[in-house]
Amino acid sequence: MAEANEDYIIKVEHLNKHFKVDKEELEVLRDINLEIKEGEFITIVGHSGCGKSTLLKIICGLVSYEDGEVIRNGHKVVGPGPNCGMVFQDHRLLPWLKIKDNVGFGLDHLTKEEKAITVQNHIDLVGLHGFENSYPSQLSGGMSQRAAIARGLANNPNILLLDEPFGALDALTRIQMQKEILRIQKEQKTTMVMVTHDIDEAIVLGNRIVVMSARPGEIKEIIKVSSAARKRNSIDFSQVKKKIYEYLFEESEQEIETDYII
Amino acid sequence: MKVLKTIALGIIVPIAIFILWFWATETGRVATSLLPTLSMVKKAFIDMTSSGQLQKDLLISIQRVLKGFLFAALLGIALGTIMGMFSPIRAMLEPFITTIRQIPMIAWFPLIVLWFGIGEISKVIIIVLAAFFPVLVNTLSGVIQTPEGYLEVAKLYKLSKFKTFTKLYLPHAIPQILVGLKLGLSVSWMAVVAAELVAATSGIGFRMNDARSMMRSDKVIICMLVIGIVGILMDKIVSLLFGYLTPWQKVGQKK
Repeated sequence: MAEANEDYIIKVEHLNKHFKVDKEELEVLRDINLEIKEGEFITIVGHSGCGKSTLLKIICGLVSYEDGEVIRNGHKVVGPGPNCGMVFQDHRLLPWLKIKDNVGFGLDHLTKEEKAITVQNHIDLVGLHGFENSYPSQLSGGMSQRAAIARGLANNPNILLLDEPFGALDALTRIQMQKEILRIQKEQKTTMVMVTHDIDEAIVLGNRIVVMSARPGEIKEIIKVSSAARKRNSIDFSQVKKKIYEYLFEESEQEIETDYII
Repeated sequence: MKVLKTIALGIIVPIAIFILWFWATETGRVATSLLPTLSMVKKAFIDMTSSGQLQKDLLISIQRVLKGFLFAALLGIALGTIMGMFSPIRAMLEPFITTIRQIPMIAWFPLIVLWFGIGEISKVIIIVLAAFFPVLVNTLSGVIQTPEGYLEVAKLYKLSKFKTFTKLYLPHAIPQILVGLKLGLSVSWMAVVAAELVAATSGIGFRMNDARSMMRSDKVIICMLVIGIVGILMDKIVSLLFGYLTPWQKVGQKK
């Protein structure tokens, strides 16, 4: 069993997920199969409400699952663990803690000195040097997200899950943050899985892009991205973008066509 | 300039009242046994403070408030937090507490006097009853309003129930707990005066009633003023505590 999973740091097999909303069963994820290798950067794109965030939370262990199997670091996922960090869209820094305490939030098992060093290293890593004693309300959106990434990485997890981390940022800050996260991934060699609804972002960051259909969420296609395609404005980039577009909007475009015929 | 204007606007009404008062008493239109002259009030104040009687009464009342209030605050914060964190306990206690809360503090008097007499203990119990509910209700609402997203962070880092309390629920609820404490302190100050008016042999409320029975309206007015001023001071002290306990809110406001 362990041998079979050696290559894959995350393995999702035949995962189905239902939610009960007002006594009605809602199918969120259908037959998800996904294998992620160590050091990969996977991006997941899909319409809002397609269950991509749920998938991420299941991998993280924040949401339980009944049907299928999810394996993380060679073990069945039963809950959150220190080897898997998570960054949320709304940074979720605690407003009453200074940045250094937010970054060190999950580090209570370390000694005071170890904690201080780890926190400082990660604050430096995300470029927030000098803001250790600020409160989150004093930081801009981009800086808050940097702090959230530092918190997610502080435990030195080998997996970092990112749930639309740059979704609330303005376009310029977002591009800057994308560069930052690529640099951090190169430095830390962390396996990253990022959910996004920004197709450009998915291509620039992902080694592979998982395209999901609307509810119930199914994996439509997994697209490998060459390093050439990861450059914005390259021809390869446009081709990949077009491909994703087609996957995401094939249904709605058909609808528009029929409208014209009528 | 703006501050001066605010102050100027704020003192118009008190000054008008004083002028009216002065005019009504000095011209003899109102009997001084009902409304004393300003100079009589001033003299009564000097008499009461130089004999040390006012300070003594005030101290007794404040001590009663502190005893009752501190107890009520601890009880209210503890129970409010427990109810907020454990929904079955909340479901069990909330209807009962909501019902009990409708009974005015004064309506507890007869029963408490019956049970505990008119000694110290009954006054403290009245204060506890008065201050407990505002603290409890505000703590509870502060705790249950802790955003789901923050709790998910606690889950992510596998925080124990106690750590979740100290790192999430409590700091999130502090602003509202302080609102509850402020309300609680002000009602306990009212409660002690009311209790002393009804049944007591010492304290500022007793002194006021005593002065009334001797037709000393000047002394009654002094007591009323002192009660008002002490109330404001207590409120200010809690506000100071507020700023000290929630430094993150101060920086948020500055921005």
